[in-house]
Amino acid sequence: MAEEQKKEERKRRRHATEAAGKIGPMVKATIGGTVKAREEGKSIAYAFIVCSYDEIIRAMDIVPVWTENYAGICGAKRDATRFLERAESLNFSRSLCTYALCGLGFDQWREELGEMPPDAPWGGQAKPDFMLSSGQILCDPRNKWYQAVQQYMPDVPIYNVGLPWPLYEDDIDVADVEDYYIKYIVEELRGLIKFLERQTGRKMDWDRLSELVDLGERTWNLIWETYELRRAVPTPMGTGDAMNTMVPMVFMLGTQEGYDFFLELNKELKDKIARKEGVVKDEKYRLLWGGGLPSWFALTDFNYFNSKGAVFPVETTYRMIEPIYRLNIPDTNDPIERLAWRWIRYWTYWYDKARKRPGSEPDVERLIQYIEDYQIDGIVMHEAFSCRTWHLGLIWQLNQLKKIYKPIPVLRLGSNRQKKGEKRELPSLILESDIVDISSYSEVDTRNRIDAFIETLEQTKKNNR
Amino acid sequence: MNEKDSDILSKVENYYQDYGLRARELKDQGQKVIAYLCSLVPVEIISAAGFLPFRIRGDVHEPITKGDTQLETIACPFMRSCFDVSLKRRYDFCEGLVLPHACDSITRTYSVWRYSLDLPYSHFINLPHTVRGPSMDFFKAELETFRKSLGRFAGKEISDGDLAESIDLHNENRNKARALYELRKSDPPLVSGTEIATILTVGMRLPVKEANNLFDEVLEKLKQRKEAPFKKAPRILIDGACVDNIDFFKLIEDSGANVVADSLCIGTRDYWPKTEVGGNPVDTLAHRYLDKINCPRTYREKVGETYQEDLESRFGDVGSLIKEFNVDGVILYLYKYCDPFGFEVPARKAYLDSLKMPVLYLEDEYSTGTIGRLRTRIQAFLEMIGS
Repeated sequence: MAEEQKKEERKRRRHATEAAGKIGPMVKATIGGTVKAREEGKSIAYAFIVCSYDEIIRAMDIVPVWTENYAGICGAKRDATRFLERAESLNFSRSLCTYALCGLGFDQWREELGEMPPDAPWGGQAKPDFMLSSGQILCDPRNKWYQAVQQYMPDVPIYNVGLPWPLYEDDIDVADVEDYYIKYIVEELRGLIKFLERQTGRKMDWDRLSELVDLGERTWNLIWETYELRRAVPTPMGTGDAMNTMVPMVFMLGTQEGYDFFLELNKELKDKIARKEGVVKDEKYRLLWGGGLPSWFALTDFNYFNSKGAVFPVETTYRMIEPIYRLNIPDTNDPIERLAWRWIRYWTYWYDKARKRPGSEPDVERLIQYIEDYQIDGIVMHEAFSCRTWHLGLIWQLNQLKKIYKPIPVLRLGSNRQKKGEKRELPSLILESDIVDISSYSEVDTRNRIDAFIETLEQTKKNNR
Repeated sequence: MNEKDSDILSKVENYYQDYGLRARELKDQGQKVIAYLCSLVPVEIISAAGFLPFRIRGDVHEPITKGDTQLETIACPFMRSCFDVSLKRRYDFCEGLVLPHACDSITRTYSVWRYSLDLPYSHFINLPHTVRGPSMDFFKAELETFRKSLGRFAGKEISDGDLAESIDLHNENRNKARALYELRKSDPPLVSGTEIATILTVGMRLPVKEANNLFDEVLEKLKQRKEAPFKKAPRILIDGACVDNIDFFKLIEDSGANVVADSLCIGTRDYWPKTEVGGNPVDTLAHRYLDKINCPRTYREKVGETYQEDLESRFGDVGSLIKEFNVDGVILYLYKYCDPFGFEVPARKAYLDSLKMPVLYLEDEYSTGTIGRLRTRIQAFLEMIGS
């Protein structure tokens, strides 16, 4: 690795909260723990976050290796390029998901060597006993990645869990179709449990699973309440920190450690609010991170925004929860059914709201709600070139938002030279780079664009005074 | 087309060049047209409702402009082109749009299509990713939802009888397409890959009865060829996703090869599998679209003890085509940003290597701008096969 890059690695992002500062060591310990678990003979699974099987694998004492997370770590440490290049040399196109490419390059190298690749970030990614793919409505790589890696470890079996949800349609109410969606997801999750029982030789402890689903639901409520504290002005926590606190949200769901983390964060945010202590001293602009995964190698860009007085009290990325009590989950004692209902009701949560506003759409409606709840001045998105899952439709969402939602009052000179009141849309910025592939990133260009955006925000504020 | 004064082949050529010509004519006569993308939309249901299923095609000669104001450029370039020409009102005779859960590029842009085209009807069909029993039951329920939804738009109930009749007609169409492929088996083939691509592309935009008649006439005409109008040359199979233009076929054939087979969406992937006749028509359609169509977006569970057995199970259909059409080399041709196929490239190559089949892997934009670069690589590949 070039000396220059090593220096870059040492330039770490400043956290607003103490809780976020604890995440790095926590993730390092988790990754180290998977390598140790392998040595101890525990069952290890490659897994994806937000797949509704968190509590199931925890209840069966299976150690998850979150492969996207490991690729993100390689990206954040600016040490992903060698794995990406190895994947490319195996004939995987560099235009594919770079989380997957990084993982494929790493795994092929590890299997070829029979040990971890040299200087593997944080000790490396342990070889699994089995892999849990996920056929959702989005994310082709989650459906294909583990099948591709089987070429290098054909003895590792896969279970691919079907987890669809209905897309938003004009003529179809979710209520008309959700029964067969629920039935399917329940069958898929029961199939997963049978697979895990076969692989581990252990039976599911159903009482424990129910307890963990309870814990998962309480964690969702706690996270929602905690994140809602960020509405405060000045906001006590920004998206930069949320890109850390997503770890206990989606990598530790169904664990007491994950729940306790948010108890602590909740307290810390309340204390900060009481002291009127914000992310920055002089909060000038409140921004919504309205879509796109972050560039893990450039999280200091959030600090750059902060240096201009801009903060992100809210984001759509990795806010993968809604308060359980608002999801109207039907009464059932079956933990698998609860997981299935939670899944469907989460993904369709914004549908009813969208129907009430002509021209709206669930993703757009969510933006509007956050803009209003968090007193937002502008929107920033990130288009990662290698990920179609979360980065297609962002331009359209902004276009649609501009059409149907203009919250900023302005005075314009009419044709009769008379001033007339109008409303205009929020300023927005789409940054372009990648999640892992640093070759797509230019710090100078990115920051020039941020500077120009800040000028627009300033101008908008001046016009509005 | 190679033959002079060939009325039927000129008609096909005309339909190809003025894409949508017949659909426009029919629209003027009161026929409603439903646009769709991808081989995973059950066209039998659209035909059974009395609509003309019209497969949207991109345009490799048309720069993507308007589409890029609405969509990110990181999407599949084929889909972007389809969206771009649709936005430019090229298919403004369509009254509806049906998209399937094929890949992220299609799924993630469904709302963008729906709002931007603002058609009276739209529907998304959610295919599961696996072919297990529960997935099949789910997909049958999804197809029933589509049947009801389209029936509401048509103002009629789509009966089992309507579906059975439509299934017969579309199966007949597939039989005729297969008969066309028979003409490629001789060496040199009696029909070129460019001609077949033209005919099949056109066939997917006509009412199925008309397509059947057209295919009959084309078959009759081509069977009159006593001698192949082409020279003996390396016999190439194109493997990949959706190639809906003849430029790539022409490029290979102009470089000194005969394209004799394919495993493409507008090709054997779609035309080979037929819907079972008899039984519940929705069940048999579910089986065709989820299981029989071998698209990498549908996950196949590992089969057998060895990886080679798994490869055979996943790509054996390509191997069968290689044997059946006596193929000398394979060009694996994909568009950039194609995750479902892209993650399969090393496995596909490993399978073809196991057959000792020369392979050229090309990743391309959806544009004729890359033809010079492609030509060089194709010529080098053909020289390698020749030597």
